[in-house]
Order: sequence, then structure tokens, then C-alpha cells
Amino acid sequence: MNQEEVKHRIKKVVASVLKLDMSEITDNANFIFDLGADSMQSMLLIAAFEEEFEIEMDVDKAQEVQTISGAVEFISSYL
Amino acid sequence: MKDRGKLHHKNLQTLFYPKSVAVIGTNKVTGTVPGDIFINILHADLQGIIYPVSPREKSIGGVKAYKYVIDIEEEVDLAVIVFPSSVAKLALEQCGQKGIKSVIIISAGFREVGEKGQAKEKELLEIAEKYDISFIGPNCLGVINTDPVSRLNASFARKFPAEGNIAFLSQSGALCTAVLDYAQAKNIGFSKFVSFGNKTDISEIDLLYYLMEDKKTKVILLYLEEITDGPGLMKAARDVIEKSHKPILIIKSGRTEEGASAAASHTGSLAGKDEICDAAFKQAGIIRCENIEEMFNIAIAFVYQPEPKLNRIAIITNAGGPGVLTTDAAIKSGIHLAQFSEETTLALKRSLPSTANINNPVDVIGDARADRYVAAISAAFKDENVDGLFVILTPQSMTDINTIAKEIATVASQFDKPIYTSFMGEADVASGIQILQKHNIPHYILPESMCKPFMKVYQFHQQISKSETITEAAAVYKSKEAKKRINSALNSNKKFLHEFEATQIVSEYKLPVLKSGLTTSAEEAAEVAKTIGFPVVMKVMSEKIVHKFDVGGVILNINSEIEAAEAFLKITDSVQKILPGIKIDGILVSKQVPEGLEVILGIKKDPSFGDVIMFGIGGIFVEIFKDVSFRVAPIQKNVAFEMIQEIKASKLLLGARGKKPADIECLAETIVKLSNLALDNPNIKELDINPLIVLELGKGCFVADAKIVLK
Repeated sequence: MNQEEVKHRIKKVVASVLKLDMSEITDNANFIFDLGADSMQSMLLIAAFEEEFEIEMDVDKAQEVQTISGAVEFISSYL
Repeated sequence: MKDRGKLHHKNLQTLFYPKSVAVIGTNKVTGTVPGDIFINILHADLQGIIYPVSPREKSIGGVKAYKYVIDIEEEVDLAVIVFPSSVAKLALEQCGQKGIKSVIIISAGFREVGEKGQAKEKELLEIAEKYDISFIGPNCLGVINTDPVSRLNASFARKFPAEGNIAFLSQSGALCTAVLDYAQAKNIGFSKFVSFGNKTDISEIDLLYYLMEDKKTKVILLYLEEITDGPGLMKAARDVIEKSHKPILIIKSGRTEEGASAAASHTGSLAGKDEICDAAFKQAGIIRCENIEEMFNIAIAFVYQPEPKLNRIAIITNAGGPGVLTTDAAIKSGIHLAQFSEETTLALKRSLPSTANINNPVDVIGDARADRYVAAISAAFKDENVDGLFVILTPQSMTDINTIAKEIATVASQFDKPIYTSFMGEADVASGIQILQKHNIPHYILPESMCKPFMKVYQFHQQISKSETITEAAAVYKSKEAKKRINSALNSNKKFLHEFEATQIVSEYKLPVLKSGLTTSAEEAAEVAKTIGFPVVMKVMSEKIVHKFDVGGVILNINSEIEAAEAFLKITDSVQKILPGIKIDGILVSKQVPEGLEVILGIKKDPSFGDVIMFGIGGIFVEIFKDVSFRVAPIQKNVAFEMIQEIKASKLLLGARGKKPADIECLAETIVKLSNLALDNPNIKELDINPLIVLELGKGCFVADAKIVLK
């Protein structure tokens, strides 16, 4: 899976969990500062990413990921 | 680097009196910190405009929301950041871009959670410095300003307090909410209420300087968990007290911290963090309180009542027992019972029944109604020998509690003297207490509790009249030779300087030392003793021996060359038996001083306050008696005299039981010189002069033993 595909699927998950339009989600958007995720939604995002990519992530490290581009890099490391 | 203190002073004015506030990271969810802070600001009726900043909301509480603070077209004075710590720096950066200079960072998850959090705090400070921002927090409850021209409640406290003249500053946010609740029940209002959390940027020192000029504040209360800049705090406190005459009351937690157990000197052992804190606060004029109740007991006395001219009080009671208890407590606190004038006695005689006690404490008798209280209080107020009143009430079946409370308030308003009350009990007296509190008459549950606040107010005003400015912490006299010796020891990894080496250093600062010589053979000891002149004292010198007496390392009263030679052998023999193989630098032969009082002087380098000087009764039992006083250097001569007078055994020095007074003049000068030595030598960790022998007045004092522990 190439990086663009990963990014697209991540944005799709984020749009679904945070109930946003895909167009609002920029590559460098910060989950909290730009997209308004609260702590519960941050946890839901981690679970949704795991389901989407069928991976099991290190939750502590996953929580440190703050942006879409960071998530692309982090999730790619599991693929 | 720019002067952040001046910047904070300017930005704090905007912080307390913003014309517009942005809450960054807020949301619609009540019961959460981001949600409640916005609602609190809104509900407090802020005298300005409020902007919610939330990435996902179009409006909050009917107010248009913005995605970013930089999207707000109008100027913003204050930003309150409620985002999680992970993005607080992004919010602060945008504040800088927007030109906001005053910020409150509520978010937790910084220094208090470890190294990663500490790094985040550093980032915040870098951004603040880049944009000339001043911020309170992080990890705090927020800020409240009750001034009607502001009405700012940028906090997640449950209550907006009543307006008042007490400023409360706290390092603990949770304590703030408890204090607000406590104060509301007692009808106590606040001028400013600040939880400053991790004090990364704005500290208690900046807040003290701001409140010095705040017209709404008359008393400053401060709860501190850590002191990061002791000398700065002391200077700020002295400035506030001297320039604005506002008392500062502090609770400093962590009294029981144990830090002296492994100390290598008596001073190190005796000068615990708490003792040093006590001394520093005293020196700065700060009133240290044990707990919240005591703090507010004293605060309301300052805020609600005039200051007493002197400390002569009249006690008026309807119950003998509480009157006696209060009298005992008053006398113990240093308060005098006023001697009534003839006019007062006559007035009391005319207005009270024959069974009443018309002497002080005045007992208006258990069946007294308001008229008797009014008569007694008025008579006492009018008496020139009375500086303040303590009024006690116990609820009898005929006691008209509420009327008495109202009458006390009415009479008190006619006189410029303080009146404190104690309506004893709980349920029956509750409404009366409320009346008193409503009229700003201090009320105390226990009558004895009136004494401490009265004395604190009295002492504070006495202290203002004779206060002196703290001088800069720098050595007046400097010694290159002392520094050379210390550096040489440090270069050879030496951490402990024994008597001979320590004496050489203290003599550089003109402390009175005795003639002495270090010897390495019995023959040399005899010769040096002869040169010095008998009698002499001989002591073992070794880096490894802290308490020489314990190893047979000291012999006194040596009167001849033969005795000196014998003493040399006896000491070396004893030491080698007790501590086999120990390295001995030599045996010190020094002039034996005539009999005098043995005192101890010491230095301890404190991480919060710097150089601390100790004085006390010396000798080998110093750590048992613990009769010592402390002050932070630099010490002037008047402060040295205070130190001398402060210990229990000061009477011995001033001449007790027919003995002539000791040379306290020389002693005070020696304390001042020691303070200078401490400031000139940052590498000295601890220093003991024990004993310093103080002779009769005019005959001086002498360092009889000394040791230095280096950093």
C-alpha cells in the first residue's frame, strides 16, 4: 500500500469518527488543535485505525501522534 | 534577555482587566474544564467581549465561535488556553501571532508529570519570550477578579466569590476551590484570586509586585508548595510591606520534610528547610500561617478592623470561664490586659449589676442582654488605656443574641479601635455570627483564637514603623587568599576543612581567632606550645574526624612543654585505638581562652534562600538543646542582635544571676563578618564555629573551633 493510499484511508477514518467533511482535513492537520478531537475521540481514532488497517498499535506511542502526516508515517510502520 | 518582571507587571494589568477574552480550546460540554471555563466567564458578567475558540463549533452558548484565535478580527487582550498540553504550544504560538500579551494556561500535563512535561513547559517559555507574552500556569485553576469594572472568572471554580479586599494566590488549584467554599460560608470576599500552578512564567513574586499597587487589595494571602527564588520572594515581600503597608500571609507546605539527617556539621543538621523558611519569612516581615483557618482568622483582623495603637485589650464576657481562658491566652500571646481609668470603672459600676465584675476581664453576668453589652463596650472603647476589645458571648436562655450582634456592630462603627468577637457554640449563635460577619466584625469560634490575630496585626504595624530595606546579597569585604585556599582544597578533591584550615579562612574575614600551630611530633608540639604561651589546648586534625571529643582527640589545660609533648602522644594513641589506620594531618596547638560562654555560629547554603547564618548556644550538646536562631545573609548588626535575643538562653549572654553580661557587641560584629564570609565564598556548603567563646563585655570573643564543608 503506498503512502497516498494510507493517507486517504486515514482521512476517511478521521472524517467518519470526528464527523467532518474530507475537504476540511489537510495533510498537516492536528487532530486536537485543527480538527477538535477530544480525549475520547482520540482513543476512538486509534481503535478505528486498527480496524481499518487490521493492525495492533502500541497505544502509548499512538497517542503521541498528533497530525495526519504523523499518522501516515506511524501506521505505515505497521504495514 | 528582556526584563520579564517589568513585562509581567504591564501584562498582569491586562490579564486582570481584559476588555476582550478568547477561550482557546473550549467546547459545548458542561462539566468539562474547557466547557466550564467559557461558561464561567460568560456567567460572571465579564465587562468585555468573550470569544470562544473551538476547532469544530460554530457557536458556544449563543456566542459565535472561531476555529483559530488568529481568525478573530478584533483585538484580544487575554487568552485562556484550555487545550490539552500536547497542543498548548500551538495555541500559545497563535496568541503570539495575534499580538495577545496576557495568557492563562489552564492545561495540565507539564512539569508535574515528569521530564517530557518539563520539556513542553520550556517550549511554552520560549514562545512567550519570543512574543513578549506573560502567562500564568500551566496546570492551574485560573484567575478571578471580582472588581466590578472587570468581573473576570477565568477559572473552573464552582463559585464566583464576593468582592472584598483579600487577594489569594495559590500554587495548588484544588486548594483554591476549597478556600472559595470556606470563604463564602464566612462571608469573606476577595479582590483577586489566582491559581498560578507551575509558575513557569509569572510567579508569586510578579503577582506580589502587581498586588502592591492594586487598590482593591489590602491583604495578600499566599499558599506555596515550593520556593524557587527565596531571596526574590523576600525582597518582593519587603517591598510590598514597606511601600504599600499590605501584610503578606503565607502557608508554606512541606514543614515535615527531613533533609538534615546526613548533614556533616551541626549547622547542617540544625538548619532544616523549614527552620530556614521560618527565619527568612520573619526577616522579610511575612506572617507564616499553619493552616487555612489561621490564615483567614488573621486576614479578617487586618481587613475588617483598624490597627491597635498598643496591645492593651479589654475583655467583655457574659461567662467567667471563657473570660479567664481568654485572659490566659492573651497574656501568653504577649497581650496586656488594660487597666481601666477611673471614669471607665465608674461608668461600668453605674451600668452593670452589683454582681458583675467591673474589672478587666469585665463579666456582664450570664443574664446580660444587649444593654449591658452596649454599656460595657462603649465604656471600654472610650477608655484611653484600651487599644482593642475582645467580646465573648455564651448563649443563655435570656441572651438576645441577634440584638447583641447588631448592637456590637453599631457601637464598633463609632470608634476607631479594633473589636473581635467570639459567640461560643454553634446552632444557637449561628444567626448572630452571620450578623457580625455581615458587618465585618471578626468572629472566632474559640475566644482564645482572638489573641493571635490581634498580636499579628499589632506586631505588623510595629514592624512597619521600624523596617529597614534589605541590602543586596553581596559581600562587602572580599578575600582572595580565602578563595585561593578553598580552590586549592577543591582541586585536591577535599570536601572537609578541619579546624586549622578553617581558622585560616575565617581569620581572613577578621573573625577573632586564637594563636595556633599545626604540629606533627611531640617535640614540635612542646615548642609551639611554648611560643604561644600557656595554657594551651591540643586537638587532633583529620579530615575524617567530625567530632573530636568522641575519639579522645581534645586535651585542655596544658600548662607546660612536658604536658604538651605527653598530650600529643596521648591524642594520637587514643585516635589510632578508636579509628585504626586513620589519616591524621597533625595535632593543633592553640591558646586556651579564659572561661566564657560557648556559642555556635554557622553557615548553611540553602537551595531556596542562599546563605543562611545560624547562631545559638554551643558546645557539644548543641544538637540536643537546639536553642538556635537563623537569618538569611546579608546580616546587618541590628539583625545580628535580634538573632542573639531570639534564643532562649539569651539571658545568659545578657547577664543572668549576678553574672556580668557577655560581649554581645563583639558577638554581633562576628555574626556580621560571618555573613560577609558566606557571601564571598559560594563554594562553602556548611561551616561551624563551635564553640565561639564569648567573654565578659569589652573583653571580646574567640573562635575556639571551626570546620568547613565544601560543595
